[in-house]
Amino acid sequence: MSSLIEVRQLCKTYQKALGLFRHKQVLALQNLSFQLDAGQTLAIVGETGSGKSTLAKILVGIEQADSGEVLLAGKKHDCANYQSNNHLIRYIFQDAARSLNPNQKIADILHDVLRYSTVLSFEQREQKISQTLKLLGLLNEHGNYYPHMFSGGQLQRVALARALILDPKVLILDEALTALDPSLRAQIVNLLLDLQQKTGLAYLLITNQLRLVRHIADQTLVLHQGQSLDYGPTQQVFEQPQHDYSRKLIKSIQF
Amino acid sequence: MQLLDIRNLTLELETPDGLVRAVDRVSLTLKEGEIRGLVGESGSGKSLIAKAIMGVLHQRWKISADRFNWCGQDLLRLPYQQQRQIISRDIAMIYQEPSRSMDPTATVGEQLAESIPDHLLEGSWWQRGYYRKKRALALLHKVGIRDHTVLSSYPYQLSEGLCQKIMIAMAIAKSPKLLIADEPTTALESTTQAQLFRLLASFNQLKGTSILLISHELETVARNTDTLSVLYCGQLVEAGDTATLLKHPLHPYTHALIQSVPEFQPELGFKQQLYALHGSIPTLQHLPIGCRLGPRCPNARKECVKTPVIERQQNHFYSCHFPMTGKSSHE
Repeated sequence: MSSLIEVRQLCKTYQKALGLFRHKQVLALQNLSFQLDAGQTLAIVGETGSGKSTLAKILVGIEQADSGEVLLAGKKHDCANYQSNNHLIRYIFQDAARSLNPNQKIADILHDVLRYSTVLSFEQREQKISQTLKLLGLLNEHGNYYPHMFSGGQLQRVALARALILDPKVLILDEALTALDPSLRAQIVNLLLDLQQKTGLAYLLITNQLRLVRHIADQTLVLHQGQSLDYGPTQQVFEQPQHDYSRKLIKSIQF
Repeated sequence: MQLLDIRNLTLELETPDGLVRAVDRVSLTLKEGEIRGLVGESGSGKSLIAKAIMGVLHQRWKISADRFNWCGQDLLRLPYQQQRQIISRDIAMIYQEPSRSMDPTATVGEQLAESIPDHLLEGSWWQRGYYRKKRALALLHKVGIRDHTVLSSYPYQLSEGLCQKIMIAMAIAKSPKLLIADEPTTALESTTQAQLFRLLASFNQLKGTSILLISHELETVARNTDTLSVLYCGQLVEAGDTATLLKHPLHPYTHALIQSVPEFQPELGFKQQLYALHGSIPTLQHLPIGCRLGPRCPNARKECVKTPVIERQQNHFYSCHFPMTGKSSHE
């Protein structure tokens, strides 16, 4: 059986202008490959500039890869075709407060998502929205709220609702848990774990918080300057890191 | 000797909805050479307290305290000029988000040179410029930067980690007695974080600088401090030695904080649910009366509508009507 999502030999370089005619090539990703099964979590750790966010952006189609392919359930996945494909892989931004439109009510934000990607009628959309809000522990009335009326933890739930309303297979969390306060983070982590158990969602967790990785990730991939150094089950990576860089990274939380 | 001794510090702000009490009777003491952690969630008033100590709060804030002693002198009762003099001589602060709190229009070198006080420079006045430059370089080496081109670059050209190090260099330029580090690690990666804490620890040991470490992450603070104060919504909930506090938390909030960190829970299985308080942090306009944790507290009772007084068990202070006695966090 092929895994839910498989990434093969992904490469990406950025062009950086040095002068009028000169360019510098910046390697963001080099031959990156990994697999992720349903109901599993893959953590991607690495420093800034290691290509973590580039990878996430390629998967949701914000950026185009130079070469390599993304397979979803064995079939080639065209990331850039939003309209037909954006319900499969969803992305949660780092700062929920800044990624939601302050002029729109929550219900309108969710309606827009559904109107763009599905052919549901108004009533069906309403029903779907109330289902999703309930799933995330929010009330129906919250649909009439504007983003600024929510607290940090609730906003993260709204951001999750926007991602989950299309019943995705994979959810990408790009530093989504970093900015939260500890007690709220525990709430959101619980929610994520719960959802994974119930619906078999796969998470791609992009983060700097190795302690959290250790608790919730099945697999870990250490990224350094666009190359994957260590890749394997979390336990193995944390106990026997193969490369110097990963060893340094993992040691930094245990000193 | 008691370096800093604050008793019942209250910070209030006049708003259209009435007086908002952002910090409610917080006590804080710091001995010489001590590293104290100040933990709390966003909006708990950590940064406000730091700014109050530095004396850089906006004029709209009403500061009142029973005692605000710095080396035995009550700062609040001194005339403004004298107050500024003492603070600028003895206290330094590393601000949140270094790249944003530096001057974007001046090079790093100029800013670093500016922060060196005249009385620490040798030589006559015409030699000052030379010695100032020399000292700036020495400071740069002290914080572990070997690349001298850093001095001629602007803050936006440098990485967050480098900016943070330069902030520290600026803070230690006058060899302060107290260094306040306000969320020094939020913007940094874990390898740089480790470096930074080693740097702070070495200043503490070599020069006997006291450090007030402000953070919202309990695990980093716990590893690097001797004593700990936990704040919730502007109220001090618990204070004491870091080790005892982690082992026997008396306040339900501290208990919840410790439980929510997977690292402190060795028996917690992989992917198991974490312990979390329900609800979220109230906003300053809608603070509950009495104990501010009340609505979220698992063992709140009728008495909790009265603000609990701070009680003491040896060196361990807590403010709760129903402390979690006889329970350890590793149950």
